Amino acid sequence: MANNILEVKNLKISFRTNSGTVKAVRNISFNLEKGETLAIVGESGSGKSVTSKAILGILAGNSIVESGEILYDGRDLLKISEEDMCKIRGDKISMIFQDPLSSLDPIVKIGKQITEAMLLKNKTNRKRARNEFNSTLKCLKEAMIDASDKSQASVAYISEMIKTFDDFNILAIRLENKYNAARAYAEELKAQLEHFLYMSEKKQKLDVKRDLGEYIQTLKKIKNEFLTVDHDEKLAECVAILEKCRKEYRVQPDEQGKLATYILSDELREVLATLSGTYLVEILERPAPNFFRIGYYVYKNPGVTIDKSDINALNEMTVKYLDEDFMIRFIEKETEAIRCSAEKSLQIKKKVLEDLAKAKEYFLTTENLEKKATGEVVENLCKTVAASIDRLEYNKDNIAYTFTSSLSSAANKYFIYEKLNPKEEKRYARQNARREKLIARGKKIDWKVVPKNVNDLEDLREACVSVITRLENKYNADIENFDKRDFDKIAVGLIDYLKARASEVVYTITKRMAKEKAIKLMEEVGIPEPRTRYNQYPFEFSGGMRQRIVIAIALVANPDILICDEPTTALDVTIQSQILELINKIKKERQLSIIFITHDLGVVANMADKIGVMYAGKIVEYGTSEDVFYSPAHPYTWALLSSMPDLDTNEKLEAIPGTPPNMIYPPVGDAFAERNKYALKIDFEMQPPVFKISDTHSASTWLLHPDAPKVEMPKIIRERIARMNSKGGNEDV
Amino acid sequence: MSENKYPEIQAGEVLLKVEELSQHFGPLKAVDKVSFEVKKGEVFGLVGESGCGKTTTGRTIIRLYNPTGGNVYFKGQRIGAGTLGYKEAMSNAKKTADEKIAELEADSAANPQNQAENSIAIQNISDELKKEIAELKMEMAKAKRENKKVDRDLVTQIQMIFQDPVASLNPRMTVREIISEGMVVKGIKDKEYIDEQVYDVLDKVGLVREHAGRYPHEFSGGQKQRIGIARSVVMRPEMIIADEPVSALDVSVQAQVINLLNDLREELGLTILFIAHDLSVVKYFSDRIGVMYFGKMVELADADELFRHPMHPYTRSLLSAIPLPDPNYEKTRRRITYEPLRDHDYSVEQPSFREVLPGHFVLCSDSEEEKYRRESSEG
Repeated sequence: MANNILEVKNLKISFRTNSGTVKAVRNISFNLEKGETLAIVGESGSGKSVTSKAILGILAGNSIVESGEILYDGRDLLKISEEDMCKIRGDKISMIFQDPLSSLDPIVKIGKQITEAMLLKNKTNRKRARNEFNSTLKCLKEAMIDASDKSQASVAYISEMIKTFDDFNILAIRLENKYNAARAYAEELKAQLEHFLYMSEKKQKLDVKRDLGEYIQTLKKIKNEFLTVDHDEKLAECVAILEKCRKEYRVQPDEQGKLATYILSDELREVLATLSGTYLVEILERPAPNFFRIGYYVYKNPGVTIDKSDINALNEMTVKYLDEDFMIRFIEKETEAIRCSAEKSLQIKKKVLEDLAKAKEYFLTTENLEKKATGEVVENLCKTVAASIDRLEYNKDNIAYTFTSSLSSAANKYFIYEKLNPKEEKRYARQNARREKLIARGKKIDWKVVPKNVNDLEDLREACVSVITRLENKYNADIENFDKRDFDKIAVGLIDYLKARASEVVYTITKRMAKEKAIKLMEEVGIPEPRTRYNQYPFEFSGGMRQRIVIAIALVANPDILICDEPTTALDVTIQSQILELINKIKKERQLSIIFITHDLGVVANMADKIGVMYAGKIVEYGTSEDVFYSPAHPYTWALLSSMPDLDTNEKLEAIPGTPPNMIYPPVGDAFAERNKYALKIDFEMQPPVFKISDTHSASTWLLHPDAPKVEMPKIIRERIARMNSKGGNEDV
Repeated sequence: MSENKYPEIQAGEVLLKVEELSQHFGPLKAVDKVSFEVKKGEVFGLVGESGCGKTTTGRTIIRLYNPTGGNVYFKGQRIGAGTLGYKEAMSNAKKTADEKIAELEADSAANPQNQAENSIAIQNISDELKKEIAELKMEMAKAKRENKKVDRDLVTQIQMIFQDPVASLNPRMTVREIISEGMVVKGIKDKEYIDEQVYDVLDKVGLVREHAGRYPHEFSGGQKQRIGIARSVVMRPEMIIADEPVSALDVSVQAQVINLLNDLREELGLTILFIAHDLSVVKYFSDRIGVMYFGKMVELADADELFRHPMHPYTRSLLSAIPLPDPNYEKTRRRITYEPLRDHDYSVEQPSFREVLPGHFVLCSDSEEEKYRRESSEG
């Protein structure tokens, strides 16, 4: 539970069209864990893209979200405002689309397209991080005061401590930011110098005067007290020599007597070589100082000069100082505060449980729900629940945080449909009567009556109850697990969280830094010669390279979740496998969670940890990739697997007959029944429930019902699985 | 019709022969001296990554482009000819003649006593050259002439299925018009006959009579591709060039279309040139497979043989990139990369397309040929 980064619950989406509402997604739920890949597989029109678009909040205008929740970071993505969604979209959740060409702007250079988001997001991120940092610190302060004896002395003591923490954190991060900027310049200069020397060696044209001027400027910017402390003099010498060379530089004739721009004097060549080969390497190899500690030291002893020549010693000295002077007592107080706050919230939770039970009773037993009375009940309940939330938990509890919006929208819906249902019934009856009349008159009619858009009130009432039950279960689990909590760990985690926010606050990014970052990113996604490529237009790239650029753009903001919507369908085999390898590599490096949408099961085998097979807006089978490939249970999965040839297939392929059903009139029973040769009679009459096969594997088909006849999967798959098992030496299946 | 004009080809005999076919677009050599034969009744698969010239090959055979060089024979009749080969032969002849003349002139400069003898020899050589060039020019003119007046009836026996079912059907024509267009162009005016043919072929591809009056947008992707197939089958072709007929379709529909093509092939005795980049599908569907890389055919063999013993490093890299629905295998799968400069050393010996094992052709040099032979006998 704790690792779920994204939870989709009972999502239902339909589209309003001229001929009626198309039910695109019908009640699907899944969880996405941190660092895991979930693949959603299905035919076109099965609703997989709609699901991903709903997560990103980019559904088409005629879409209706009928019900459901998408929980991320303590918020319900379906219910937050567009402004809030803007902060999440592209920043926390990113998407790679199917066609790389249509997702790039043809008249903007690649470099600009990559850095654009970085520069834009930077400002808003700083503001947001400042707010989060301040509010968390404020909560912490209150909790600390709560946990203490509340005397004036201790309040003052705590206030002072929090202020210290705030100030030195910001100071530390400022130092770090300067250091990082200088380091970025050093890296850039090194790459440029190497390129310059290479070009002159290869007798290519160079603009020596301009380039040298640039290098001198950059060299001056590299100067940083922590980075270049040993090299300051040497760098100054270099600058002097470079300036002299620049002044003296004249274009000279080469061996053939022609004027050439690539000829450098020995002095210049030597100084550039030592600069790029020795000094910059040494500078870049220096251990990184721990600014969190140094910041505190500098804060406490302003004006004291610190010895920066040995970074490791400095790090050790300051950590001792920080621990003795501040951190130990701070963490002590903090742990106390967290424990206290958690206990307090536990007490409230116990109380809330009673309220919840009462509200449940109210929803279940009251004959006619009245709008006003219900509104009051909901409001009161939401207030108590909001009070029960432990604000010091940095891993936000999705269910509690979204309780208010879930419950009030569920209740609202009940009252809306209470009003709407009779109208809809009337309309349906009227139109039906008209149609009957026309038919009775013997006319040919080519239109159908738009089906009723009626919701069962009992179901809606049930939805309210289920929202409450869910919170109840969650709180019960919390109360049970309370003793198992490790408060020391949580305390350290909270400090890390604050540190991360603080670093976001002062993290300003300039165009130069953005460029360096973009070039690093381009290297990471495997684009050769990123420095030249940076200034090119999309049409100068091949299909695979374009898709890499799109991936780089998606990764710019360091998202938590990456949604890949058929990223390789437009590419051919070799490029496809390169891109898949790249996505896998990045996922491992960055702990990304990926939702991978495709219709090709072969692609998924290597990528996915879990697979959801979708058909007609429902997830018909859900399990780990081993489950789905080695012991598929749903006839649709069988059909998908048997309709694709692999390298050893010789027999006739088993194509799926027919086409997917028209989702304006979704079938009463199992949607796949009509195309399914294993369909039972009940498949046409009733929708199958979800049957659990193992802890990780579930499928919704009547074939899994204990009373169902035993049906073997098609021969072609059985043989293939046998083959795979013998090949992989996997004998336990 | 044309069936009587040309000899009937029996199953297993060569139906289509492509000889050193080149198609250049300016400096771009899209197809560069590709040779292969397609036998009657077989499915010949053509694979390679996008941009390697497989589609251009198909289109040049059916004369959507005029070939730059090489010959295409269908039923023993030349249906396409390029001039590049003749031009090259001419310049080669000139070059060798010039070299010989230069040698002789040098000789006569050194030994004045041979001068008379040499000048006669020079005269002979230049006469021969003139004759040779005149012959080549004649043949070139003949090829050009033949190119212009190709027997239309013969060429209609090759039909094409296109990749994108949406883009290849005219949205303003009904299915009946689309399917019957070829017959109308050929001059058949009997409406009843045409309708009969259309219904017949619709039935064959798994559609119904009522569909004839509809427009393409009323059909799903798979059905549209069926219409495309019907359009090509209705002309009673001997051979179909299927250019990625399933790449734009969903997995489940892919299987329907492949099964349909398989049934039609058995029923009508079709020969199919199957162009695709999905290797699993090609392997499943084809009898023989040719692998193309940057305009060149690098390997050609029986489907099973090719997948069991790939010889050319590019084929190996292509095979190693196929994703399979088997997680355990996928986790251990290692992709082999192909870099022409690293994998081949052609500085000394030039590669050519040769038969390394019976029925197994590879583009390689002498030393590589030996290496491949050794490897296959070991493996």
